[in-house]
Amino acid sequence: MIAGAWLCLLAPLAGALTITLLGQASSRRTAAWISTVSVFTAFGGAVAAFIGLLGQGHEEREVVTSAWTWLATPNFQVDLSLLVDPLSVTMMLIVSGVGGLIVLYSIGYMDGDPEERRYFAYMSLFVFSMLLLVQAGNFLLLLAGWGLVGLASYLLIGFWHERAEAVAAAKKAFVMNAFGDATMALAFFVLIWQTGTLDFQASFEGAGGLSQTAVNLVALGLLGGAVAKSAQIPLHTWLPDAMEGPTPVSALIHAATMVTAGVYLIVRAHPIFELAPSISDLAAGLGAITLLVAGLVALVQTDIKRVIAYSTMSQIGYMFLGAGLGAYGNSMFHLMTHAFFKALLFLAAGLVIHHLANEQDIRRMGGLRRVLPRTYIAFLVGSLALVGIPPLSGFFSKDSILASALASGGYGQILFVAGLVGTLLTGLYTFRLFFIVFLGEPSPLVAEHSSGHAGGHGHGEGPWTMTVPVAALTVLAVIGGWVQIAGVWHPFGEWLDPIAVGREHLALVEPSVVQDYVTSALAVGLGLLGMLIAWTLYGARTRPVPRNAALQETLEHKLWFDELYDLVFYRPAVLLTRGFRRGVEQPLIGGSISGVTLGTRGTAGAVGDAQTGYLRSYALVIALGVAVLVVVFITVQ
Amino acid sequence: MQGPDVVWYLVVAALLFSIGTAGVLLRRSPLIVLLSLEIMLNSANLALISFARHHGNHDGQIFALAVMAVAASEVVVGLGLIVAIARRRLDLDVDRLRMLRG
Repeated sequence: MIAGAWLCLLAPLAGALTITLLGQASSRRTAAWISTVSVFTAFGGAVAAFIGLLGQGHEEREVVTSAWTWLATPNFQVDLSLLVDPLSVTMMLIVSGVGGLIVLYSIGYMDGDPEERRYFAYMSLFVFSMLLLVQAGNFLLLLAGWGLVGLASYLLIGFWHERAEAVAAAKKAFVMNAFGDATMALAFFVLIWQTGTLDFQASFEGAGGLSQTAVNLVALGLLGGAVAKSAQIPLHTWLPDAMEGPTPVSALIHAATMVTAGVYLIVRAHPIFELAPSISDLAAGLGAITLLVAGLVALVQTDIKRVIAYSTMSQIGYMFLGAGLGAYGNSMFHLMTHAFFKALLFLAAGLVIHHLANEQDIRRMGGLRRVLPRTYIAFLVGSLALVGIPPLSGFFSKDSILASALASGGYGQILFVAGLVGTLLTGLYTFRLFFIVFLGEPSPLVAEHSSGHAGGHGHGEGPWTMTVPVAALTVLAVIGGWVQIAGVWHPFGEWLDPIAVGREHLALVEPSVVQDYVTSALAVGLGLLGMLIAWTLYGARTRPVPRNAALQETLEHKLWFDELYDLVFYRPAVLLTRGFRRGVEQPLIGGSISGVTLGTRGTAGAVGDAQTGYLRSYALVIALGVAVLVVVFITVQ
Repeated sequence: MQGPDVVWYLVVAALLFSIGTAGVLLRRSPLIVLLSLEIMLNSANLALISFARHHGNHDGQIFALAVMAVAASEVVVGLGLIVAIARRRLDLDVDRLRMLRG
C-alpha cells in the first residue's frame, strides 16, 4: 500500500523528467506515450493503495509514511511524508484515472503541434503536482503541491505562447492564485506560531486550544487559498480566461482536478473549519453566490469552452456550499462525479473543436448531430449528468448536497433555495449550449468541414486515442453516481466516514430520507423546467429569446468583475508606481547613482591633470617629497 | 696624517648632488639626464664614504659598493632605453616623451 502510494506520486514525475531529459532524442509520439504510461502507472499505484486500504480495519485506515526529515529546527519539524487515508486515496484515483484518460486523449488532440513534447512534459508535471497536493502528509508539503499545480496551470494555459491572449490569461491565473497562496502561507504562519506544527493531526489537535480569533484567521487564510484555486467569487475571474489553453488542459486542470483542490482543502482541514463556524458559513455563502452568478453569466456566453467553464465554477459552488455546511462526504461525492461528467463535456467539446479546426464560437456551429453522432450522445450524457437527471451521476451527488443544505437549519435553507435556482439555470444554460451546437440545420461552417472530412480523412469523429477516453468517461458519467443512493445504500459515504465526521465523531448533517426525496423531486423538476425553457427558446425556437439590453450587457461583461478589479486594484497600483517613479526612483535612486558617476569622473579628471607626462615634473615632485620627509624627520627628532 | 675636516667632504657631496639634481630637472637630452643621475649617485657615495671614515667603520663603504652596482645596472637599462628610442627614430628629448599625460 505504501509502495503503491509512492509509485503513484513518483511515476508522473519520472515521466516528466524522462521526456525533458530525452528532449529531441525521443519522437513526439514516444513523449506522448511516456506521459500516458506514467500517469496510468500512477493510477495502478493508486488502485494498489486503495486495495491495501480496503484490507485494513475501518479505524486503521490512516497510514503516514515518511521518506526523510525535510526541515528540522529544535522546536519545529517537517517531514517529507505521505498520508494515505480514504480521502487522499479517493483523490488519487480521480486525479490519476481521469488524468490518464485525458492524457491519452491529448495524443490525438495535440497531434501535429510543433511543441508536443513540452506539452506532455507539462501534463506529467501537473499530475505529479496534483498528486503531491492530495497525498501530502502535512500542510507545508500540501503548499508545495499547491504552488506546483499553479505553476503547471500557468505553463499549460500559456502553452500557445505566440498568442497574446493565452499569455495574458496565464498571467492572470498565476496572479490570482498567488494571492490565494499568500493567504494560505499566512494561515500556516499563524499555525506554526500558535501550535508549533504543520502536521495535519497535531495541528488539528493544537487548534482546539487556540483563541477564536486565531482559529478564524487560520480558517480565513485557508479559505482564501481554496477560493482562489477553485475560482469562487471574488477570485474567480481567471477561470474563464484560462480556456485559452488546449482543451484537454481545460478538461484536466480547469474542470476535473486542480480547481477542485479548494474543496479538498476544506474537507482535509475540516477540524479547523468546524472550530470557525462563521468562516465555514462564509465558504458556503460564497459557494451559493458563485453558483448563481456563474449560472447567470453562462447564459449569454458564446464560446463553447467558456460556457462549460462557467458551469464548472457553478458546480464547484455546490461543492463549497456542501463543504461549508459540513456535508464533506457529499461534497467529495459531487467532486468525483463532476470530474467524470465535466471532463466528458470538455473532451466532447474538444472533439467538436477539433472537427471544426479550432472554431469555438457556438454562433457559427449548429446541426452537428448528423456529422458527429457519437459525440452528440457523449455530450448529451454529460449534459444530462450535469443537470442532474436520474439515473446519471450528477443526480445523486448534487441532490445529496442540496438535501444536506435543507437539513442544516435556517441559513442552510436559504442556500438550499439558491441551489435550487442554480439547478434551473444549469438546465437552461447547458441545454442552450447543447441545442445550439447539435440541433438544427448544419451551419455553413459545419457543412464545409464535414464534406471535407467525409471523403478525405475517413477517421470519422476522431482518432481512437480521442474517442476511447470519451467513451470511458461517458460510461463513468452514467454509472459514477451509483456508489451512493440516498436512503438505499451508502458505500461511498461509509468509505469516507473516517474523515467526513465532525470532531465528536458524528456526521454534521444527516438529511432524513424524506428530505432527500423532496429535494430530488424539486431539483429534477427545476432542471427539467430549465431544459424545457431551453428547448422552447433554442431547440424548437417557438418563442424568440427575450432580450433586455442592459441585462444582456451586464451578463456579457460577467457582472463587471474585470472592470471593477481594473478600477480598484490595477489603476491605483499603476498611479502609485508612476508616482514612485517620478518622486522616488528618478530623483533619489537614479539621482544618487548618476551623482556617484559624475563625482568619480570629476575627481578622476582633476587627478589626471597632475599627470603632465613631463619627466622633470615627476622628478621635481619626488625631490620635493624627499625634502619634506627629511625636514619632517629632522624636526620630529 | 689628518686630512680636511669631514664637513668639507660633505659640502662637496652636497654641491655635486645639487648639480646632478639641476641636470635632471633642467636638461632635455636623456643622455645628459642619465649622466646627471650618475653624478647624484656618486655624490651620495662620497657622503657615505666620508661618514664611514668619520665613524671609523666600514658600513658606509659597503653601502657605497651596493650603490655602484645599482648605478651600473641602472645605466644598462637607461642606455638600453635610449638606444631603443634612437632606433625608432624618435627625438631624443624627454619633454616630447609625454604619453603618460593624464
